[in-house]
Amino acid sequence: MEYVIEAENLTITYNGYEAVKDLTFKLKKGETMLLLGPNGAGKTTLLRVLAGFHTEYRGKILVFGRPPLEVKDRVAYVPQTFSLNTRVPLSVLDVVAMGALYRRGIVHFNVPRDIIDRALEVLDFLGLKHLAERPFRELSSGQRQRVLIARALMSNPELLLLDEPLSALDPKARIDATSTLSKIKAEIGLTMIITTHDVNPLIEIGDKVMLIDRRLVAFGTPEEVLRDEIIGSVYGPASRTVKVGERLYCIIGDVHLRVR
Amino acid sequence: MIEEYLFRAILASLMVGTLLGLLSPLINVKGIAFLTHATFHALLFGAVLGMILGLMVGNLSLIFWISLIVAIVVVMVIAEMEIRGYSSDTAVGATAGLVAGLTVLGFGILYKVMASKPYFGLSESIVTYLTGEIFLITLNDLWMLVLGGVIAFAIMLAFYRDFIYLSFDPEGLESHGGNVRLYLMILYFLVGAIGGLIVKTVGLITLQVLAVLPGAIALTLSKDLRGLIGLSLGITLLTQVSSVILGYLLDVPPSGLATVFLGTLYGALMVRRKLA
Repeated sequence: MEYVIEAENLTITYNGYEAVKDLTFKLKKGETMLLLGPNGAGKTTLLRVLAGFHTEYRGKILVFGRPPLEVKDRVAYVPQTFSLNTRVPLSVLDVVAMGALYRRGIVHFNVPRDIIDRALEVLDFLGLKHLAERPFRELSSGQRQRVLIARALMSNPELLLLDEPLSALDPKARIDATSTLSKIKAEIGLTMIITTHDVNPLIEIGDKVMLIDRRLVAFGTPEEVLRDEIIGSVYGPASRTVKVGERLYCIIGDVHLRVR
Repeated sequence: MIEEYLFRAILASLMVGTLLGLLSPLINVKGIAFLTHATFHALLFGAVLGMILGLMVGNLSLIFWISLIVAIVVVMVIAEMEIRGYSSDTAVGATAGLVAGLTVLGFGILYKVMASKPYFGLSESIVTYLTGEIFLITLNDLWMLVLGGVIAFAIMLAFYRDFIYLSFDPEGLESHGGNVRLYLMILYFLVGAIGGLIVKTVGLITLQVLAVLPGAIALTLSKDLRGLIGLSLGITLLTQVSSVILGYLLDVPPSGLATVFLGTLYGALMVRRKLA
């Protein structure tokens, strides 16, 4: 069995402080894992380790059978859009091209023609080609999110890490972003890890769900993890899972106000 | 017939305008205006140190070289602190504060050294470093400015897109294989080196204004990268050259005119934005 990620007793620390501990899980090639947990649970921290940004950890973590730092070029990370400096007047094409430029040397005065062509191809695949010349800062949050996904696809990654791609999006933009991720899963078959506070829009593309709260609470299929007693242990007794027809919904209330 | 010193001043202002016109947008989009403040302190400390040594060994060209080296060392220390996780504010504040303290000590020593020397050239005074004396630029100064300026210009142009991406999304840059540390070091090096190169021409105070305001104005008015760079270059070159010519005609310091012009333009834009 080919595993993209193998973690065993993984404890991630920041200056000696344990941000998240004892994570054990495996993810197969082509699977999509939804990473759930309240604020401060360690979701972004785990993504940063997998992306090779953070190396302070104990235990075992292998990506494609090697430490994350050694396989950074096979992994693409899509940050939260609020972390971008939108004062920089870049066009959509400039932003997407960024995803392939750094495989080629350290000086990038011009964007080579083949990278521009590839960027247009990726934008076309995601239905964003008409935005190519638009200033990135003038896009809506949903469009920005999809452009960042396009940028991530430029390097032909084998593992895609998305940090809360649905946060701060209106319902229409959520549907667009979810459709984009479904298309990537169906047509490219990428292995993906998606952190989210709201699992409902993504549940159909999630093969696995991991619930963490500075430790591993549960890991398994959506049906195994999204159960009242498991969700309730993190989000409180008011949280529920309900099934409408064959579809599972998770109601977890306002977790942002929870006091530790 | 144009006077030779005016011709030198115009050439110097063209070089300064080109360098700062290109650098200013980067300072604005990266949000490192405070770095120019640290460069200010570093250059002043370097000038004081250079003057002490220059007066002692009888070679006042040391002022230029020592202030240039000190400025570069200080900005590189700040870059290293940021890479190690210190916030930009802390890195700049702590370093600039330390350098300012050393400058005060340096002045104490400088006054004693000056008291023992009956004469030193007007063009090498510390006041020159504060206000700039573009009309006192020598041919040798101009050569240094052009030579250093061309090298700095070439480096800045080569890495311009990378600096822009670094400002937009450093984490994204790193995740796509870019070397954030390298680009940050080169950018900060350029700020220190350009500051050291041009300070004698425009002065420390105007250097801060010229490094920040053209980019800030261009950022307000432009929608794309080309517009941003073109506008910033245009504003800086126009300000520099016109202030030299006006300074010559009105017999006032050109650096003061440049500062007033840019400040007024930026203020007018702010008012327009508020009224819109």
